[in-house]
Amino acid sequence: MATEGLTILGKTVFDTLFIDWRIMAITAIISIILFIVGMYIQLDKWGRGIPEGATKPYGAFGALSMIIGSIFSKGIGHALEVLILDVAFQRRTYRRRKLEWLMHILIFWGWIGLLILTIVAAAAEFYGPFALGAGPEFFIGMWKSLELPNNIFGWMLVIGIAIAIVRRLFSKAKDVQARNADVDWILIIGLLIVVVTGFYAQDIRIAAGVQRDLISNYEATAPGFFDNITVMFHEVFTLLFCVAYLPFSKYFHMITAPLTILVNHGGE
Amino acid sequence: MAKEKPSLNTVNFTAAQLMEFDACTRCGECVKYCPTYDARDKNQDIEPRDKIQRWKEFMNKCFGLKARLFGPEKIPPEEIKKFTDDLYNCTTCGMCGTVCPAGINTIELWESTRANLVKYGTGPYGKQSLFPKLIEEGHNPYLKQQKDRLAWMTPDIKIAEKSDIAYFIGCTAGYNQQVLGVSTARILNKLNVPFMALGEEEWCCGSALIRTGQQHINDTPKKAAIHNVEALKARGAKRVIFACAGCFRAAKIDWPRAYGKALPFEAIHMSQFLAEQLDAGKIKWEKSLNKTVTYHDPCHLGRHVGVFEEPRKVIKSMPGIKLVEMKRNRKEQRCCGAGGGVKAGIPDLALGVATGRMKDAKETGAEALISTCPFCRRNLIDGRDELKLDMNVDDLVVMTANLMGLSTDVKPPAPGAPKESISDLFRTQTIPPKPPAPPAEPKAAAPATPAPAASAPKAATAPVAKAEASKAPAAKAEAPKASAKEAAKAPAANKK
Repeated sequence: MATEGLTILGKTVFDTLFIDWRIMAITAIISIILFIVGMYIQLDKWGRGIPEGATKPYGAFGALSMIIGSIFSKGIGHALEVLILDVAFQRRTYRRRKLEWLMHILIFWGWIGLLILTIVAAAAEFYGPFALGAGPEFFIGMWKSLELPNNIFGWMLVIGIAIAIVRRLFSKAKDVQARNADVDWILIIGLLIVVVTGFYAQDIRIAAGVQRDLISNYEATAPGFFDNITVMFHEVFTLLFCVAYLPFSKYFHMITAPLTILVNHGGE
Repeated sequence: MAKEKPSLNTVNFTAAQLMEFDACTRCGECVKYCPTYDARDKNQDIEPRDKIQRWKEFMNKCFGLKARLFGPEKIPPEEIKKFTDDLYNCTTCGMCGTVCPAGINTIELWESTRANLVKYGTGPYGKQSLFPKLIEEGHNPYLKQQKDRLAWMTPDIKIAEKSDIAYFIGCTAGYNQQVLGVSTARILNKLNVPFMALGEEEWCCGSALIRTGQQHINDTPKKAAIHNVEALKARGAKRVIFACAGCFRAAKIDWPRAYGKALPFEAIHMSQFLAEQLDAGKIKWEKSLNKTVTYHDPCHLGRHVGVFEEPRKVIKSMPGIKLVEMKRNRKEQRCCGAGGGVKAGIPDLALGVATGRMKDAKETGAEALISTCPFCRRNLIDGRDELKLDMNVDDLVVMTANLMGLSTDVKPPAPGAPKESISDLFRTQTIPPKPPAPPAEPKAAAPATPAPAASAPKAATAPVAKAEASKAPAAKAEAPKASAKEAAKAPAANKK
């Protein structure tokens, strides 16, 4: 059986992205570095705060420590309750803004779901050869089992984005009327590009019968995709837009809003 | 070339507060409920969201990525001044925080930003700058004498020298709304609850300074809080009753911070105390009043501290009284408009918000609006007069006293006494008109506006304070009001 995947550190790794893993690795590292730098700059900014009575700022790590301390100041149980009800299920938004809640939940969980599944798939790529010494079967099985939830989360994201676009085009809601609200289009269009190219990339794989050919003819199937610019663009753009750009964009509220809710114990 | 210094600093903010500016999603939920935005004809500059976004941009210009790479971007001083003015167009009612999907604690955020801008030099707003001097030197914002703290007492009222229950009267009830003082005291006497009051030892709770971002000026609110706590402790107080929502909020939230630990007594609002007494079967209603009333939740009692049901419980128990709710009630109530220093600093805004709330009350068809805060009462009376509504505005304690068969009469009011000094619902007294002022003599050259307190000499002597007091606009609060508009032009030094 011709199953010569990608050789990384002397092990054969099989995946279904079919792009040059070196490009992926470099993009991922750059994205994560930019994300960490962005987070540090924000933390450093927050750490400049000098509350009444204090004589000097706490610094980035002091700020992080204070934020974490505040989150758990009423106990782990309370923090978990807020995490589940107010962060995961966005109770505060649900109480007042049902449509926006639906949009948020679809985008948030669609995004989180795809992120988790991507991490699982990436872990499986390495877990098989490195931990189990397995051939491509392990990864292929995992990949197939993830296909349905991947589709569900993908469609959730698409529907959420569609609601966001329709709202911005036709709604007279207050958020649409905010000063500089046009910048939201950058984020919506960016997410739309991620989703559209993602579905297109998946469509290419399905059309090429990737699953069928993979085990029996990985070597012949995979290299053909290395040159697929759409698939490459999707992966690189997603990493840069959703990871590297996050701390510098309005999507930063995906981190700060949950943290604020946690720090303020649900806002009650 | 040396990098430009940031135009602003981060003094008075916690790390979490600076994070909160980044947490705003611009959803605009706060805009739907903001009372001052409504009263300012939906001016976008007044939106809570817009203010958060603008401060966030300021912070990013000073400390964001671009600032780190290329140096801070200069923020024109006029832009900061404009922001300051917009920031003070806010009653710090906290409605924005209540509805914020991100759970931003806006009350604390506005207060910290105000304090930062007071230190920067653009805050506070207008006559609010008189508060530090007035409160530090006179221990009240009304230019009154400490010896008159209990001047409202009538011979029938008994106040103990020492007791484990204290009544913290507050400046507004003590000096301007005597009806609240006498009603509270008579209720406690009738219930055989011995209580003491600090009298001359009572100092302003400090709320006005904290709400307007001036707490750091000579540490006046901190000193006042520690003084009051120690004085109450020394007199043996185990429970302290507050009939003023503003003082109560200060005692519950601000005093423990100033004191550095939990208070050595329990702070309780009079409405809570009345509900307790009702549960214990100690309150006997002796009169009935066939009226439909609506209840206004003071921000400082409701949203800030969480007391919503006790006042309603007392009202519902009153014979003949029917309670109807305004559309916006409890956590979602609309502010009366007096808080956050707005009554003193921006009286037309206070009046605009008050008329909005009185329209809410009118919609219910109620004959009277009842509240549990003397300052709400004062501003809502102004709103009522502005709209020329046929509706009484009074305090729960006053209504309770009357239906318990007690008199709510105060000492015979002086000519031109504030209209809020007597009961509005039970009009058993009238305020004689103020005699016409003698013809004005040519004024000696004097500054049109007193110097801002922040820059005023710290140890001005009492006579100086008194002389300046006569020039201060706050003194006009005592003048009879031909109309609410005129009242608004002559702002009371308020403490909310």
